[in-house]
Amino acid sequence: MKKLLRFFTPLFLHPAMLCASAGGASWFRTDRINSLILLIIFAAAVLIYIRLAKTGRPLFIRKLSGLDAMDDAVGRATEMGKPVLFIPGIQEVSEIQTIAGLSILGRVASYTAEYEAGLLVTVQYPVVMAAAQEIVKDAYVNAGKRELYNDSMVQYVAGSQFALAAAVNGIMTRIRPAANIFMGAFYAESLLLAETGNLTGAIQISGTANPEQLPFFIAACDFTLMGEELYAASAYLSGEPKLLGSLKGQDLLKIIIIILILAAIVYLMIDWKALFILKILETS
Amino acid sequence: MNRYRIAEILTGIDRRIIYLSILLATIIPFLVGFPQPIYVSKESRDLYNWVENIRDGSTILLTFDYYPSTLAEVEPMSRAAIKHCWRKDMKLICMTTVPLGGPSITERVMNDMATNWAVEELGAKKIYGVDYINLGYKPDYKAVLMGMGTSFRDIYPTDFRSVPLDSFPITKNVDKYSDVNFLYIISDNGIVDEWVTIANRQFGIPLGAGVTAVMAPKFYSYLQSQQMVGLLGGMRGAAEYEKLIGSEGMATLFMGPQSLVHLMIIFFILLGNTAYFLGGRKV
Amino acid sequence: MHDLLSKRLPMMLAFFAGMVIIVAFFSGHPTLTNFRSNMQVWVSIIGGFTLLLGVVSITSVNYRRVRKLEKDWPYKLILLISLVVSGGFGIFQGTEAGTVYDWLFQNMSAPMMSSMFAMLAFFIASAAYRAFRARTVEATILLVVAMIVMLGRVPIGQVIYHRLPEITEWIMNYPNLAVQRGIIIGAALGAASMSIRIILGIERTYMGR
Repeated sequence: MKKLLRFFTPLFLHPAMLCASAGGASWFRTDRINSLILLIIFAAAVLIYIRLAKTGRPLFIRKLSGLDAMDDAVGRATEMGKPVLFIPGIQEVSEIQTIAGLSILGRVASYTAEYEAGLLVTVQYPVVMAAAQEIVKDAYVNAGKRELYNDSMVQYVAGSQFALAAAVNGIMTRIRPAANIFMGAFYAESLLLAETGNLTGAIQISGTANPEQLPFFIAACDFTLMGEELYAASAYLSGEPKLLGSLKGQDLLKIIIIILILAAIVYLMIDWKALFILKILETS
Repeated sequence: MNRYRIAEILTGIDRRIIYLSILLATIIPFLVGFPQPIYVSKESRDLYNWVENIRDGSTILLTFDYYPSTLAEVEPMSRAAIKHCWRKDMKLICMTTVPLGGPSITERVMNDMATNWAVEELGAKKIYGVDYINLGYKPDYKAVLMGMGTSFRDIYPTDFRSVPLDSFPITKNVDKYSDVNFLYIISDNGIVDEWVTIANRQFGIPLGAGVTAVMAPKFYSYLQSQQMVGLLGGMRGAAEYEKLIGSEGMATLFMGPQSLVHLMIIFFILLGNTAYFLGGRKV
Repeated sequence: MHDLLSKRLPMMLAFFAGMVIIVAFFSGHPTLTNFRSNMQVWVSIIGGFTLLLGVVSITSVNYRRVRKLEKDWPYKLILLISLVVSGGFGIFQGTEAGTVYDWLFQNMSAPMMSSMFAMLAFFIASAAYRAFRARTVEATILLVVAMIVMLGRVPIGQVIYHRLPEITEWIMNYPNLAVQRGIIIGAALGAASMSIRIILGIERTYMGR
């Protein structure tokens, strides 16, 4: 039992720790076999549910108000003749939260293209700028509105956190966008941005997987996507069965983890030495 | 005046009045003084006790992982940590993972402590290369943290001033995590996660951290899993550490404004709720 | 051909890079770990080149506005002058202590960054005043707990009630940590699921599809 518990120990530690352990020079690190098994189960669950989704089986996905509000936010911007401001976080493109933010940007850009509303994207890294320009351009081309797109819709405004916050706050107070959408990795600038946006009266939708910034977004924004909801957003917005299927696979692993946590708690609460059946086994 | 009118007035307080109140709450304690007793939390005491129990003269890896923007909150922690270590005659190997301002902050704080505080408090200057060294910054923090597990010299062949590490007595017998006794992280960003996963989990070096108040709640998990020996949370953590080492500094002084600002925020929350209830629970 | 360059090739590259990182994680062999490290270096090098993209973007957007004397053009001009002056000194004189770039950084950038960070205190106060309402039972619990923690985290809390810091510590260590862990585990699974979708080419929305 103890061996079993040690085997599953990584599940109870900080998720970031799943990526670390002592190393050697072999082709396979046996100390990471638990992570490998978990990865295989996870990948299998995701793929099975994707296959199920492809067969046309209906999948229930919880309603995410923040994402449903995006359509309304763009509509409001169109009515007001004001642009939508989008920030895909302040991290590099290698950060998965930035990729999630860029995925949502694709959807927002298709809405703004469809409604012919203005769109302004501000970024902190040039690589993110290049990626965002491609995404927005594709969305406009796909919507048949290529003529409405120009590269300055996506702007690299500053290379550091607070310089970006100052620049975006300036844009917010001068242009007064109708909607501000913050999706990605945000840090101390979260409240500076969201509170200024609130001051200008914009509809605000935010999403981040950084738990320490969630209270600030919740206080100052109309809708907030928390943690995994950010990653689920692109699947939710697209409505594509294979993307939605992967969310179900994720849920399955979460259930497995909850069961393992509960099992570990029960195991630790039981006084094994005092257990009657074990005493009999020991004496026999 | 009926209650709805009062509610309307209380709800409509101009933001600038709130900002002015916070500004006054910050400035007034500095002018008139606002001393208060400092309660030492378990996580601060644990960090202090760990460092206290390390053998005198040991080598400590001290990081300055913060940007100039958070100097006011985080620098007092660095200073308190240096005071504690140098009172025990420990050798400090300093570095940063922050490119923007990190190396110059390290240089300024270390020089000031070595030439001013050390002379006043310990009676002699601390010598660069003997008592402390500034390794500076190298890009790609993950590669740096991993690489230092096998050889400091691979990552930092020279110090911040481009002088080879081999020419300093302090780094003569130090080349990897296992050669230092403790990792003392002072940070304002998520690099703490990387230090824990790489330096502690993969290379086994014990570590403690001082972080901004906003980040502190996230790192309590490392205390419970015993991957971090102690934690200083924000200015209050620094003030607690100053109390533990018996040297009241900037953080203790800042506790006055911080207390008053917290009270002021609570006052405004109560004001907002009074308006909410007087107005018939309508937003 | 266009389909190959715009769709298939990026997907193949994403699959290859993702698999290399995963395989290197489970293998301690220097061949793979070195290859992974090299890949990370390539990312840094590409990132360095793209900095030029950023400079070109910021210059062209702001130069155009200054030339047309659009609204708020003086701000754009200040930005362009700052870019040229600090960039010029940084490139030609260096960035070490004692240089003009260092002086600009220490005496202009750093205080401005600190000022932005300090504004948080003001914004927290106004956001708390506006948003913290005891609308429901849950919101009331949140409100009370927040006030306990706010008082317990500063020395005056102890003066008001001597056990307040202990109560705060308990809140931080148990209810706070339970929630933090829940969100972090959920977010990590979400990130892993998204990574699998990207590596396998199922998720292509980040490429604009």
